[in-house]
Amino acid sequence: MNLPFAFVHSRSSSKVEEACDLYVRAANMFKMAKNWGAAGDAFCKAAQLHLQVQSKHNAAMNLLDAGNAFKKADPQEAISCFCQAIDIYTDMGRFNIAAKHHISIAEIYESELLDIDKAIAHYEQAADYYKGEESTSAANKCLLKVATYAAQMEQYQKATEIFEQIGTYSMDTTLLRYGAKDHFFKAALCHFCVDMLNCKLAVQKYEEMYPAFSDARECKLLKKLLDAHEEQNIDAYADAVREFDSITRLDQWQTTMLLRIKKTIQDEENDLR
Amino acid sequence: MSSDFETYELDFGTLTADITNKIGRIPKLAGEEKTQLVLNVDKQLEEVRELLEQMDLEVREIPIQSRGMYSSRLKSYKQEMEKLEKDFKRSRIAYSDEVRNELLGDDASSSESQRAHLLDNTERLERSSRRLEAGYQIAVETEQVGQEILTNLHSDREKIQRSRDRLRETDANLGKSSRILTSMLRRDTSWTLRCSSLRLC
Repeated sequence: MNLPFAFVHSRSSSKVEEACDLYVRAANMFKMAKNWGAAGDAFCKAAQLHLQVQSKHNAAMNLLDAGNAFKKADPQEAISCFCQAIDIYTDMGRFNIAAKHHISIAEIYESELLDIDKAIAHYEQAADYYKGEESTSAANKCLLKVATYAAQMEQYQKATEIFEQIGTYSMDTTLLRYGAKDHFFKAALCHFCVDMLNCKLAVQKYEEMYPAFSDARECKLLKKLLDAHEEQNIDAYADAVREFDSITRLDQWQTTMLLRIKKTIQDEENDLR
Repeated sequence: MSSDFETYELDFGTLTADITNKIGRIPKLAGEEKTQLVLNVDKQLEEVRELLEQMDLEVREIPIQSRGMYSSRLKSYKQEMEKLEKDFKRSRIAYSDEVRNELLGDDASSSESQRAHLLDNTERLERSSRRLEAGYQIAVETEQVGQEILTNLHSDREKIQRSRDRLRETDANLGKSSRILTSMLRRDTSWTLRCSSLRLC
Protein backbone atom coordinates (compact mmCIF):
# COMPACT_ATOMS: atom_id res chain seq x y z
CA MET A 1 0.00 0.00 0.00
CA ASN A 2 1.74 3.14 -1.22
CA LEU A 3 0.91 6.61 0.03
CA PRO A 4 0.60 8.72 -3.12
CA PHE A 5 2.17 12.21 -3.07
CA ALA A 6 -0.07 15.22 -3.59
CA PHE A 7 1.20 18.25 -5.52
CA VAL A 8 -0.25 20.92 -3.26
CA HIS A 9 1.99 23.76 -4.40
CA SER A 10 0.49 24.03 -7.87
CA ARG A 11 -2.31 26.57 -8.27
CA SER A 12 -4.09 24.96 -11.18
CA SER A 13 -7.40 23.50 -10.14
CA SER A 14 -7.05 20.29 -12.08
CA LYS A 15 -3.96 19.44 -10.11
CA VAL A 16 -5.80 20.16 -6.88
CA GLU A 17 -8.62 17.95 -7.98
CA GLU A 18 -6.19 15.21 -8.82
CA ALA A 19 -4.70 15.62 -5.38
CA CYS A 20 -8.11 15.38 -3.81
CA ASP A 21 -8.85 12.19 -5.72
CA LEU A 22 -5.62 10.69 -4.59
CA TYR A 23 -6.31 11.62 -0.98
CA VAL A 24 -9.75 9.99 -1.22
CA ARG A 25 -8.24 6.83 -2.66
CA ALA A 26 -5.72 6.75 0.14
CA ALA A 27 -8.42 7.18 2.72
CA ASN A 28 -10.43 4.31 1.24
CA MET A 29 -7.41 2.08 1.41
CA PHE A 30 -6.91 3.05 5.05
CA LYS A 31 -10.50 2.08 5.63
CA MET A 32 -9.90 -1.31 4.06
CA ALA A 33 -6.99 -1.78 6.42
CA LYS A 34 -9.24 -0.63 9.28
CA ASN A 35 -6.90 2.20 10.13
CA TRP A 36 -9.73 4.59 10.97
CA GLY A 37 -7.66 7.46 12.32
CA ALA A 38 -5.48 7.73 9.22
CA ALA A 39 -8.54 7.36 6.97
CA GLY A 40 -10.24 10.24 8.78
CA ASP A 41 -7.16 12.43 8.43
CA ALA A 42 -6.90 11.73 4.71
CA PHE A 43 -10.56 12.60 4.21
CA CYS A 44 -10.08 15.85 6.15
CA LYS A 45 -7.17 16.87 3.96
CA ALA A 46 -9.21 16.14 0.84
CA ALA A 47 -12.02 18.29 2.22
CA GLN A 48 -9.68 21.22 2.86
CA LEU A 49 -8.41 21.04 -0.70
CA HIS A 50 -11.94 21.05 -2.00
CA LEU A 51 -12.72 24.13 0.06
CA GLN A 52 -9.75 25.86 -1.54
CA VAL A 53 -11.28 25.34 -4.98
CA GLN A 54 -14.68 26.39 -3.67
CA SER A 55 -16.40 23.09 -4.37
CA LYS A 56 -18.40 23.07 -1.15
CA HIS A 57 -20.45 19.98 -1.93
CA ASN A 58 -17.43 17.78 -2.32
CA ALA A 59 -15.78 19.28 0.74
CA ALA A 60 -18.81 18.59 2.84
CA MET A 61 -19.04 15.01 1.55
CA ASN A 62 -15.42 14.39 2.40
CA LEU A 63 -15.93 15.83 5.87
CA LEU A 64 -18.81 13.44 6.35
CA ASP A 65 -16.69 10.49 5.34
CA ALA A 66 -14.02 11.73 7.74
CA GLY A 67 -16.59 11.93 10.51
CA ASN A 68 -17.78 8.41 9.87
CA ALA A 69 -14.25 7.09 9.91
CA PHE A 70 -13.41 8.93 13.13
CA LYS A 71 -16.56 7.60 14.77
CA LYS A 72 -14.80 4.34 15.32
CA ALA A 73 -11.51 5.81 16.47
CA ASP A 74 -11.82 9.25 18.04
CA PRO A 75 -15.35 10.51 18.78
CA GLN A 76 -14.32 14.09 19.47
CA GLU A 77 -12.65 14.45 16.09
CA ALA A 78 -15.71 12.93 14.49
CA ILE A 79 -17.91 15.50 16.14
CA SER A 80 -15.73 18.37 14.97
CA CYS A 81 -15.76 17.03 11.39
CA PHE A 82 -19.53 16.68 11.50
CA CYS A 83 -19.90 20.23 12.85
CA GLN A 84 -17.81 21.62 10.01
CA ALA A 85 -19.90 19.70 7.50
CA ILE A 86 -23.10 20.98 9.10
CA ASP A 87 -21.83 24.57 8.80
CA ILE A 88 -21.24 24.11 5.09
CA TYR A 89 -24.66 22.56 4.57
CA THR A 90 -26.54 25.23 6.49
CA ASP A 91 -24.61 27.78 4.47
CA MET A 92 -25.91 26.17 1.33
CA GLY A 93 -29.40 25.96 2.76
CA ARG A 94 -29.58 22.15 2.87
CA PHE A 95 -31.21 21.91 6.28
CA ASN A 96 -32.45 18.37 5.94
CA ILE A 97 -28.99 16.98 5.61
CA ALA A 98 -27.71 19.27 8.36
CA ALA A 99 -30.44 17.94 10.64
CA LYS A 100 -29.53 14.38 9.78
CA HIS A 101 -25.99 15.01 10.88
CA HIS A 102 -27.05 16.74 14.05
CA ILE A 103 -28.73 13.43 14.82
CA SER A 104 -25.49 11.56 14.11
CA ILE A 105 -23.61 13.85 16.48
CA ALA A 106 -26.28 13.41 19.11
CA GLU A 107 -26.00 9.65 18.74
CA ILE A 108 -22.27 9.81 19.31
CA TYR A 109 -22.88 11.85 22.47
CA GLU A 110 -25.47 9.29 23.55
CA SER A 111 -23.40 6.19 23.04
CA GLU A 112 -19.70 6.99 23.18
CA LEU A 113 -19.29 10.17 25.15
CA LEU A 114 -22.38 9.79 27.34
CA ASP A 115 -23.04 13.51 27.49
CA ILE A 116 -26.83 13.59 27.62
CA ASP A 117 -27.18 17.38 27.77
CA LYS A 118 -25.27 17.94 24.57
CA ALA A 119 -27.15 15.09 22.95
CA ILE A 120 -30.45 16.74 23.89
CA ALA A 121 -29.21 20.05 22.45
CA HIS A 122 -28.31 18.46 19.14
CA TYR A 123 -31.58 16.55 18.92
CA GLU A 124 -33.45 19.78 19.53
CA GLN A 125 -31.50 21.54 16.82
CA ALA A 126 -32.21 18.71 14.42
CA ALA A 127 -35.93 18.83 15.25
CA ASP A 128 -35.98 22.60 14.60
CA TYR A 129 -34.35 22.18 11.22
CA TYR A 130 -36.73 19.39 10.29
CA LYS A 131 -39.70 21.48 11.32
CA GLY A 132 -38.38 24.28 9.15
CA GLU A 133 -38.29 21.91 6.22
CA GLU A 134 -41.80 20.58 6.93
CA SER A 135 -40.61 17.06 7.70
CA THR A 136 -42.82 16.64 10.70
CA SER A 137 -42.34 12.91 11.15
CA ALA A 138 -38.56 13.21 11.35
CA ALA A 139 -38.96 16.21 13.65
CA ASN A 140 -41.26 14.19 15.87
CA LYS A 141 -38.76 11.38 16.05
CA CYS A 142 -36.10 13.78 17.32
CA LEU A 143 -38.48 15.47 19.70
CA LEU A 144 -39.41 12.11 21.17
CA LYS A 145 -35.79 11.46 21.98
CA VAL A 146 -35.48 14.91 23.51
CA ALA A 147 -38.51 14.29 25.69
CA THR A 148 -37.33 10.83 26.77
CA TYR A 149 -33.98 12.16 27.88
CA ALA A 150 -35.50 15.26 29.45
CA ALA A 151 -37.77 13.10 31.57
CA GLN A 152 -34.81 10.99 32.56
CA MET A 153 -33.00 14.14 33.64
CA GLU A 154 -36.16 15.16 35.57
CA GLN A 155 -37.04 18.07 33.31
CA TYR A 156 -40.65 17.01 33.47
CA GLN A 157 -42.22 20.22 32.24
CA LYS A 158 -40.40 20.10 28.95
CA ALA A 159 -41.05 16.40 28.52
CA THR A 160 -44.79 16.69 29.15
CA GLU A 161 -45.16 19.54 26.69
CA ILE A 162 -43.39 17.64 23.96
CA PHE A 163 -45.29 14.40 24.56
CA GLU A 164 -48.62 16.17 24.55
CA GLN A 165 -47.74 18.02 21.39
CA ILE A 166 -46.73 14.84 19.61
CA GLY A 167 -49.80 13.06 20.96
CA THR A 168 -52.20 15.66 19.62
CA TYR A 169 -50.46 15.62 16.28
CA SER A 170 -50.62 11.82 16.04
CA MET A 171 -54.28 11.89 16.95
CA ASP A 172 -55.10 13.83 13.83
CA THR A 173 -53.18 11.76 11.30
CA THR A 174 -54.86 8.59 10.21
CA LEU A 175 -51.60 6.69 10.03
CA LEU A 176 -50.32 7.63 13.45
CA ARG A 177 -53.58 7.36 15.33
CA TYR A 178 -52.72 4.08 17.01
CA GLY A 179 -49.51 5.46 18.44
CA ALA A 180 -51.21 8.43 20.05
CA LYS A 181 -52.25 6.53 23.17
CA ASP A 182 -48.63 5.62 23.79
CA HIS A 183 -47.62 9.29 23.76
CA PHE A 184 -50.44 10.31 26.07
CA PHE A 185 -49.42 7.53 28.45
CA LYS A 186 -45.87 8.86 28.57
CA ALA A 187 -47.09 12.41 29.10
CA ALA A 188 -49.31 11.25 31.93
CA LEU A 189 -46.39 9.42 33.56
CA CYS A 190 -44.35 12.63 33.49
CA HIS A 191 -47.26 14.51 35.04
CA PHE A 192 -47.46 11.84 37.69
CA CYS A 193 -43.81 12.27 38.61
CA VAL A 194 -44.50 15.90 39.34
CA ASP A 195 -47.83 15.76 41.07
CA MET A 196 -50.73 13.33 41.32
CA LEU A 197 -53.41 15.95 40.86
CA ASN A 198 -51.77 17.11 37.63
CA CYS A 199 -51.91 13.57 36.40
CA LYS A 200 -55.61 13.20 37.18
CA LEU A 201 -56.49 16.39 35.35
CA ALA A 202 -54.27 15.40 32.46
CA VAL A 203 -55.87 11.97 32.11
CA GLN A 204 -59.31 13.56 32.05
CA LYS A 205 -58.17 16.03 29.44
CA TYR A 206 -56.75 13.28 27.26
CA GLU A 207 -59.92 11.24 27.52
CA GLU A 208 -61.92 14.21 26.35
CA MET A 209 -59.60 14.89 23.48
CA TYR A 210 -59.22 11.32 22.38
CA PRO A 211 -62.09 9.04 23.35
CA ALA A 212 -60.32 5.87 22.30
CA PHE A 213 -57.76 6.52 25.01
CA SER A 214 -60.16 5.42 27.73
CA ASP A 215 -60.34 1.92 26.24
CA ALA A 216 -56.62 1.51 26.16
CA ARG A 217 -54.97 -0.75 28.70
CA GLU A 218 -52.58 2.05 29.50
CA CYS A 219 -55.37 4.31 30.61
CA LYS A 220 -56.76 1.60 32.87
CA LEU A 221 -53.33 1.12 34.38
CA LEU A 222 -53.03 4.87 35.00
CA LYS A 223 -56.37 4.94 36.79
CA LYS A 224 -55.38 2.02 38.98
CA LEU A 225 -52.08 3.68 39.81
CA LEU A 226 -53.82 6.94 40.67
CA ASP A 227 -56.15 5.10 43.04
CA ALA A 228 -53.27 3.24 44.64
CA HIS A 229 -51.42 6.51 45.09
CA GLU A 230 -54.42 8.15 46.71
CA GLU A 231 -54.77 5.32 49.15
CA GLN A 232 -50.99 5.16 49.64
CA ASN A 233 -51.24 1.45 48.92
CA ILE A 234 -47.91 0.18 47.61
CA ASP A 235 -49.12 -3.36 47.11
CA ALA A 236 -52.00 -2.31 44.90
CA TYR A 237 -49.54 -0.21 42.90
CA ALA A 238 -47.13 -3.12 42.48
CA ASP A 239 -49.99 -5.47 41.58
CA ALA A 240 -51.32 -3.17 38.89
CA VAL A 241 -47.85 -2.74 37.41
CA ARG A 242 -47.18 -6.47 37.48
CA GLU A 243 -50.48 -7.20 35.79
CA PHE A 244 -49.68 -4.77 33.00
CA ASP A 245 -46.17 -6.14 32.67
CA SER A 246 -47.43 -9.68 32.27
CA ILE A 247 -49.12 -8.77 29.02
CA THR A 248 -46.72 -6.20 27.57
CA ARG A 249 -43.25 -5.93 28.90
CA LEU A 250 -42.50 -2.45 30.24
CA ASP A 251 -39.44 -0.90 28.67
CA GLN A 252 -36.52 0.66 30.54
CA TRP A 253 -37.78 4.24 30.49
CA GLN A 254 -41.25 3.35 31.68
CA THR A 255 -39.88 1.18 34.47
CA THR A 256 -37.67 4.04 35.68
CA MET A 257 -40.60 6.47 35.70
CA LEU A 258 -42.90 4.06 37.49
CA LEU A 259 -40.21 3.34 40.05
CA ARG A 260 -39.83 7.04 40.77
CA ILE A 261 -43.55 7.38 41.29
CA LYS A 262 -43.53 4.34 43.55
CA LYS A 263 -40.77 5.93 45.61
CA THR A 264 -42.92 9.00 46.12
CA ILE A 265 -45.61 6.77 47.62
CA GLN A 266 -43.09 5.20 49.95
CA ASP A 267 -41.74 8.59 50.95
CA GLU A 268 -45.18 9.85 51.76
CA GLU A 269 -45.85 6.79 53.84
CA ASN A 270 -42.70 7.37 55.81
CA ASP A 271 -43.62 11.02 56.29
CA LEU A 272 -46.99 10.09 57.72
CA ARG A 273 -45.35 7.76 60.20
CA MET B 1 -112.73 -74.69 52.00
CA SER B 2 -110.20 -72.82 54.01
CA SER B 3 -107.62 -75.47 53.21
CA ASP B 4 -108.04 -74.58 49.53
CA PHE B 5 -107.56 -70.99 50.53
CA GLU B 6 -104.44 -71.91 52.42
CA THR B 7 -103.04 -73.83 49.46
CA TYR B 8 -103.76 -70.81 47.36
CA GLU B 9 -101.94 -68.70 49.91
CA LEU B 10 -98.90 -70.93 49.83
CA ASP B 11 -98.83 -70.86 46.06
CA PHE B 12 -99.24 -67.11 46.15
CA GLY B 13 -96.30 -66.86 48.56
CA THR B 14 -93.93 -68.93 46.42
CA LEU B 15 -94.97 -67.23 43.23
CA THR B 16 -94.51 -63.73 44.63
CA ALA B 17 -91.10 -64.66 46.05
CA ASP B 18 -90.04 -65.97 42.71
CA ILE B 19 -91.40 -62.92 40.90
CA THR B 20 -89.56 -60.57 43.30
CA ASN B 21 -86.37 -62.48 42.70
CA LYS B 22 -86.76 -62.27 38.94
CA ILE B 23 -87.69 -58.61 39.05
CA GLY B 24 -84.49 -57.98 40.97
CA ARG B 25 -82.51 -59.68 38.24
CA ILE B 26 -84.16 -58.05 35.22
CA PRO B 27 -82.25 -54.72 35.16
CA LYS B 28 -78.93 -56.49 35.22
CA LEU B 29 -79.64 -58.48 32.12
CA ALA B 30 -80.01 -57.45 28.54
CA GLY B 31 -81.28 -58.69 25.22
CA GLU B 32 -82.42 -62.27 24.89
CA GLU B 33 -82.22 -63.23 28.55
CA LYS B 34 -84.08 -60.12 29.56
CA THR B 35 -86.97 -60.76 27.19
CA GLN B 36 -87.11 -64.34 28.39
CA LEU B 37 -87.20 -63.31 32.00
CA VAL B 38 -89.78 -60.64 31.27
CA LEU B 39 -92.04 -63.19 29.59
CA ASN B 40 -91.55 -65.48 32.55
CA VAL B 41 -92.49 -62.83 35.03
CA ASP B 42 -95.47 -61.91 32.90
CA LYS B 43 -96.68 -65.48 32.96
CA GLN B 44 -96.18 -65.71 36.70
CA LEU B 45 -98.09 -62.48 37.23
CA GLU B 46 -100.94 -64.00 35.21
CA GLU B 47 -100.92 -67.05 37.47
CA VAL B 48 -100.91 -64.82 40.53
CA ARG B 49 -103.91 -62.94 39.20
CA GLU B 50 -105.78 -66.19 38.60
CA LEU B 51 -104.88 -67.32 42.10
CA LEU B 52 -106.23 -64.11 43.53
CA GLU B 53 -109.48 -64.53 41.58
CA GLN B 54 -109.91 -68.02 42.91
CA MET B 55 -109.15 -66.83 46.42
CA ASP B 56 -111.78 -64.23 45.93
CA LEU B 57 -114.36 -66.84 44.91
CA GLU B 58 -113.36 -68.93 47.88
CA VAL B 59 -113.81 -66.04 50.24
CA ARG B 60 -117.27 -65.36 48.79
CA GLU B 61 -118.33 -68.91 49.54
CA ILE B 62 -117.25 -68.56 53.16
CA PRO B 63 -120.14 -67.51 55.46
CA ILE B 64 -120.11 -63.82 56.25
CA GLN B 65 -119.16 -64.23 59.92
CA SER B 66 -115.73 -65.70 59.32
CA ARG B 67 -115.14 -63.79 56.06
CA GLY B 68 -113.49 -60.80 57.68
CA MET B 69 -110.04 -62.29 58.26
CA TYR B 70 -109.84 -63.84 54.85
CA SER B 71 -111.03 -60.76 53.02
CA SER B 72 -108.47 -58.59 54.80
CA ARG B 73 -105.74 -61.08 53.89
CA LEU B 74 -107.02 -61.08 50.34
CA LYS B 75 -106.88 -57.30 50.27
CA SER B 76 -103.26 -57.30 51.44
CA TYR B 77 -102.41 -59.90 48.81
CA LYS B 78 -103.99 -57.76 46.14
CA GLN B 79 -101.96 -54.76 47.27
CA GLU B 80 -98.84 -56.85 47.20
CA MET B 81 -99.60 -57.92 43.68
CA GLU B 82 -100.13 -54.36 42.54
CA LYS B 83 -96.84 -53.42 44.08
CA LEU B 84 -95.18 -56.30 42.26
CA GLU B 85 -96.67 -55.18 38.99
CA LYS B 86 -95.39 -51.67 39.53
CA ASP B 87 -91.96 -52.95 40.40
CA PHE B 88 -92.03 -55.12 37.35
CA LYS B 89 -92.85 -52.20 35.07
CA ARG B 90 -90.14 -50.08 36.65
CA SER B 91 -87.56 -52.83 36.41
CA ARG B 92 -88.07 -53.12 32.70
CA ILE B 93 -86.94 -49.57 32.14
CA ALA B 94 -84.40 -49.38 34.94
CA TYR B 95 -80.69 -49.21 34.41
CA SER B 96 -78.14 -50.87 36.53
CA ASP B 97 -74.73 -49.78 37.68
CA GLU B 98 -73.25 -53.13 36.91
CA VAL B 99 -73.88 -52.82 33.22
CA ARG B 100 -71.80 -49.61 33.14
CA ASN B 101 -68.98 -51.17 35.06
CA GLU B 102 -68.97 -54.16 32.79
CA LEU B 103 -68.74 -51.93 29.77
CA LEU B 104 -65.94 -49.73 31.06
CA GLY B 105 -64.00 -52.38 32.92
CA ASP B 106 -64.78 -52.48 36.61
CA ASP B 107 -61.37 -51.87 38.17
CA ALA B 108 -61.54 -48.45 39.97
CA SER B 109 -64.31 -47.62 42.30
CA SER B 110 -66.64 -44.88 41.04
CA SER B 111 -65.64 -42.06 43.44
CA GLU B 112 -61.95 -42.33 42.55
CA SER B 113 -62.55 -42.11 38.84
CA GLN B 114 -64.87 -39.14 39.34
CA ARG B 115 -62.19 -37.25 41.25
CA ALA B 116 -59.62 -37.96 38.56
CA HIS B 117 -62.11 -36.81 35.97
CA LEU B 118 -62.67 -33.49 37.76
CA LEU B 119 -58.94 -32.86 38.16
CA ASP B 120 -58.50 -33.55 34.48
CA ASN B 121 -61.18 -31.00 33.64
CA THR B 122 -59.62 -28.32 35.85
CA GLU B 123 -56.26 -28.88 34.25
CA ARG B 124 -57.78 -28.60 30.81
CA LEU B 125 -59.46 -25.30 31.77
CA GLU B 126 -56.18 -23.93 33.12
CA ARG B 127 -54.39 -24.88 29.96
CA SER B 128 -57.00 -23.13 27.86
CA SER B 129 -56.80 -19.93 29.91
CA ARG B 130 -53.01 -19.94 29.63
CA ARG B 131 -53.27 -20.31 25.89
CA LEU B 132 -55.80 -17.49 25.70
CA GLU B 133 -53.46 -15.22 27.64
CA ALA B 134 -50.58 -16.05 25.35
CA GLY B 135 -52.79 -15.32 22.37
CA TYR B 136 -53.74 -11.97 23.83
CA GLN B 137 -50.08 -11.13 24.40
CA ILE B 138 -49.27 -11.94 20.82
CA ALA B 139 -52.14 -9.78 19.64
CA VAL B 140 -50.84 -6.83 21.66
CA GLU B 141 -47.33 -7.33 20.28
CA THR B 142 -48.73 -7.45 16.78
CA GLU B 143 -50.48 -4.16 17.45
CA GLN B 144 -47.19 -2.59 18.53
CA VAL B 145 -45.39 -3.87 15.46
CA GLY B 146 -48.17 -2.50 13.30
CA GLN B 147 -47.81 0.87 15.02
CA GLU B 148 -44.10 1.00 14.25
CA ILE B 149 -44.73 0.08 10.66
CA LEU B 150 -47.28 2.87 10.37
CA THR B 151 -44.80 5.42 11.77
CA ASN B 152 -42.21 4.26 9.26
CA LEU B 153 -44.72 4.54 6.48
CA HIS B 154 -45.55 8.07 7.52
CA SER B 155 -41.92 9.19 7.41
CA ASP B 156 -41.38 7.40 4.11
CA ARG B 157 -44.39 9.18 2.73
CA GLU B 158 -42.88 12.55 3.57
CA LYS B 159 -39.54 11.60 2.04
CA ILE B 160 -41.18 10.45 -1.17
CA GLN B 161 -43.24 13.61 -1.41
CA ARG B 162 -40.15 15.73 -0.95
CA SER B 163 -38.19 13.78 -3.58
CA ARG B 164 -41.07 14.11 -6.00
CA ASP B 165 -41.21 17.87 -5.51
CA ARG B 166 -37.47 18.18 -5.93
CA LEU B 167 -37.66 16.07 -9.07
CA ARG B 168 -40.33 18.32 -10.51
CA GLU B 169 -38.17 21.36 -9.74
CA THR B 170 -35.17 19.75 -11.42
CA ASP B 171 -37.30 18.87 -14.40
CA ALA B 172 -38.46 22.48 -14.69
CA ASN B 173 -34.87 23.71 -14.42
CA LEU B 174 -33.73 21.30 -17.09
CA GLY B 175 -36.49 22.48 -19.37
CA LYS B 176 -35.45 26.07 -18.80
CA SER B 177 -31.78 25.31 -19.49
CA SER B 178 -32.59 23.43 -22.70
CA ARG B 179 -34.67 26.41 -23.86
CA ILE B 180 -31.80 28.79 -23.11
CA LEU B 181 -29.42 26.53 -25.02
CA THR B 182 -31.66 26.37 -28.07
CA SER B 183 -32.03 30.15 -28.04
CA MET B 184 -28.23 30.47 -27.79
CA LEU B 185 -27.87 28.11 -30.71
CA ARG B 186 -30.37 30.09 -32.77
CA ARG B 187 -28.60 33.37 -32.00
CA ASP B 188 -25.31 31.79 -32.94
CA THR B 189 -26.58 30.47 -36.29
CA SER B 190 -28.23 33.79 -37.16
CA TRP B 191 -24.93 35.58 -36.30
CA THR B 192 -22.88 33.26 -38.53
CA LEU B 193 -25.38 33.72 -41.36
CA ARG B 194 -25.05 37.48 -41.04
CA CYS B 195 -21.24 37.22 -41.02
CA SER B 196 -21.19 35.02 -44.10
CA SER B 197 -23.61 37.34 -45.92
CA LEU B 198 -21.37 40.36 -45.06
CA ARG B 199 -18.31 38.54 -46.38
CA LEU B 200 -20.05 37.83 -49.62
CA CYS B 201 -20.83 41.49 -50.00
